[in-house]
Amino acid sequence: MKVTRRDLFVWGAGAAAGLVFTPVPWKLLDDVSIWTQNWPWIPQPPRGPVEVKQSFCSLCPQGCALKVKTAGGWPVGIAGTSTNPLTRGALCPLAFGAHQLNWHPQRVRTVRHNGVPSSWSDARAAFAKACSEGPVVIIDGQPGRAASTVLASFAEKHNGSYRVEMSPETRALMPFESWTGVSAFSLGYDLENAYTIVSFGAPLLDGWGVPGRFTRLWAERAAGRSDPQLRLIQIEDSLSHTASRAWKWVNIRPGSESAMAAGLARALIEEKLVSARGPMPVITISAAASQSGISESALGELARTIVARPPVLAIASNHNPEIAALNVVLGAVGAHGGVVRRSKRTGKYIPAEAQIPNARAVLIDSSVPWDFAPDSNAEIFRFVAWDGGLQKCDWLLPAAGFLEELTDIPNAPTSAVETYAIAPQLSKPQFEIQSAAQFLVSVDPTLPTVEKVIHSRCEELFHQRAGTVYGQEVTGVAKFDSAQKLEAELEKASTWVGDPPPPGELRCELREWPPTMIAESSQNWASTWNAPVLPPLATKLYRESSLREAPGRRTV
Amino acid sequence: MSARYGMVIDLDRCTGCGACMMACAAENNVPPLPQASARTGLTPLLVRKVSNGLEGSDRREVFIPILCMHCEYDTPCVHVCPQQAVEVDKATGIVMQMPQRCLGCRYCMTACPYHARYFNWWDPAWPKGMEKSLNPGVATRMRGVVEKCNLCHARLHAAKEKAAAAGKREIDPADYVPACVEACPARAIRFGNLADPKDPVAQESQSQDAFRLLAKLGTEPKIYYKSKEPWVQAMAEPNSGPIVEAKHV
Repeated sequence: MKVTRRDLFVWGAGAAAGLVFTPVPWKLLDDVSIWTQNWPWIPQPPRGPVEVKQSFCSLCPQGCALKVKTAGGWPVGIAGTSTNPLTRGALCPLAFGAHQLNWHPQRVRTVRHNGVPSSWSDARAAFAKACSEGPVVIIDGQPGRAASTVLASFAEKHNGSYRVEMSPETRALMPFESWTGVSAFSLGYDLENAYTIVSFGAPLLDGWGVPGRFTRLWAERAAGRSDPQLRLIQIEDSLSHTASRAWKWVNIRPGSESAMAAGLARALIEEKLVSARGPMPVITISAAASQSGISESALGELARTIVARPPVLAIASNHNPEIAALNVVLGAVGAHGGVVRRSKRTGKYIPAEAQIPNARAVLIDSSVPWDFAPDSNAEIFRFVAWDGGLQKCDWLLPAAGFLEELTDIPNAPTSAVETYAIAPQLSKPQFEIQSAAQFLVSVDPTLPTVEKVIHSRCEELFHQRAGTVYGQEVTGVAKFDSAQKLEAELEKASTWVGDPPPPGELRCELREWPPTMIAESSQNWASTWNAPVLPPLATKLYRESSLREAPGRRTV
Repeated sequence: MSARYGMVIDLDRCTGCGACMMACAAENNVPPLPQASARTGLTPLLVRKVSNGLEGSDRREVFIPILCMHCEYDTPCVHVCPQQAVEVDKATGIVMQMPQRCLGCRYCMTACPYHARYFNWWDPAWPKGMEKSLNPGVATRMRGVVEKCNLCHARLHAAKEKAAAAGKREIDPADYVPACVEACPARAIRFGNLADPKDPVAQESQSQDAFRLLAKLGTEPKIYYKSKEPWVQAMAEPNSGPIVEAKHV
């Protein structure tokens, strides 16, 4: 048989047509597409045993409980701890990407002196020299921690000054400090027992307090109900996230919150809607209405609406004595569903922004938000995990990032009960880092270490025999055999919750109506973060959705 | 018995915090590409803000998480895919996207009435070292493929493995919860088996306030929304009112 050129063509065509009916080309196509999706330069997730551990977030003063998934020792996923009685499994949106922050390009990796790489020993020598030459100011952003005790002890021992940069929530409680004599850090809001909450621009559903507390409370008692059990009245100049979800939104002129609060107080007293508990505001109802851009009748109607369902609580977004005074008029100070005293501690602090005359050096802890800049010409030693830029600091000292150090978590600023927890270290530090407390102990070895202070605090809790520990199980402190067992339980990221204080423990004296003071309000979750950067995912999602703009933070 | 996984999203509870978007992106190893924009980024779950179109104190806004609706019948993306890279899983009702088969023609993106599909324009990349923070349960995807919500299928696998290790055939419902559901601080997103009449989510999906987006198309989406506000319910169908997507505030 003679094979012709034509036969070869026919055979080739037949083979090609037949091949289509075999799995070969499809398998090849499949393999090629898989192969092309596994180039060596495509990043691969870490390998190693996957574990779920518990800890707490220390990126803002709220200290939310975290469930952390780790792979090969690295945190790879964050979720809330549903068994925690305060956070109830909820977290702010930024926390879900917080584990990426340790790898952020703006991470401070080495000690820098005026922008030039330096060493820890040089920084230590410079700080010790500064201490010997003059007073040192130490600024803390989250007082009440074990590290805070170390910072305050150093300041006390070396004739320095210990100051605190307060969160907006604590600033809002500051007026009560002078009227009650109780530290703003020992006061909180009894949100759970309030039936009407009047918020003057406070982002209650968008970055105020512990998200698991108010958001859950609102969702359970208010959301979607035309006549909710909890009435949230938002008095604000724009339709914010909180205003859009409130039972009632009162649209006022920008900056007129104080006038509105004073006008409401006057209407409440004049119309005898409350038993008179405080001085009469100077402002008239018509002036308050005119300043805030609503009618007199609307203001009066609002006053009647507010008191229709007591207990009523007014919340300011920041330091505002007139809104605080409205609470006095409403009888909300020291009452159920009002401003309550959560702790018997009386520690008062000097605010960080107070003048710093003649200071030789200022040491700023990593818990202080990056936006804070001291009003001083002193030499500045700043501990920070991420460099936000545009801040003067002589020494930039690399601090622990997310979950890179053992710390303890004191009360959240608005909590109505006292709490304490220990946040274990879950991530290996990648660089030579030190906390401000470790640094000070290295300068003065007679100071107690953070571990020792935590140990003492646990012993103190054990000897008080009060409160309950919430972990895998709920156990009263009285049932623990020893302080060591209590500490071991807290080291498993359990939370100690103190007994609620008895009502009526707070006496408030307001002799005259306070003067108007306008402070900037916080905007959303990112406003209260210590870190000057957002997780890269948050930046991406804010950019790609119409939900909100990335609020003045550095992006990747 | 096959399940039909779905969600009920209570829009009256959604505060627009964005925790669901963050949790979804972190769970699914979505890269934070700086070159991506609102048009070209990957957002398997995207919270949109819409208003009633009024101004002043009468203005109202709601936040609507938009994700793949997991259409049950005549699933548009399944019909148009030339590669059989999309299929409705018979056992779960989840509309699955297989990036290995996808050739990137984007027919499915055009066909999807909810704009819930996204094209991978770039190779995944993270800042140096950040790959150590990736979720090992989910593979990274190459450029040139379409992506979408798969109801955190990796979590379903993990739940099945756990059940199998315990010698069970059925998973414990508590073991399979998508990341967005777990993250929602207001518990606005609820997840369950719509085929189980005893499931609270299935019951909720049949309530008077529940509705589905573009239900008229007859694709039987398995993502239900819920609101008591009539104007929000009216938004579910096109040309039903002055609905305006709100801009940045």
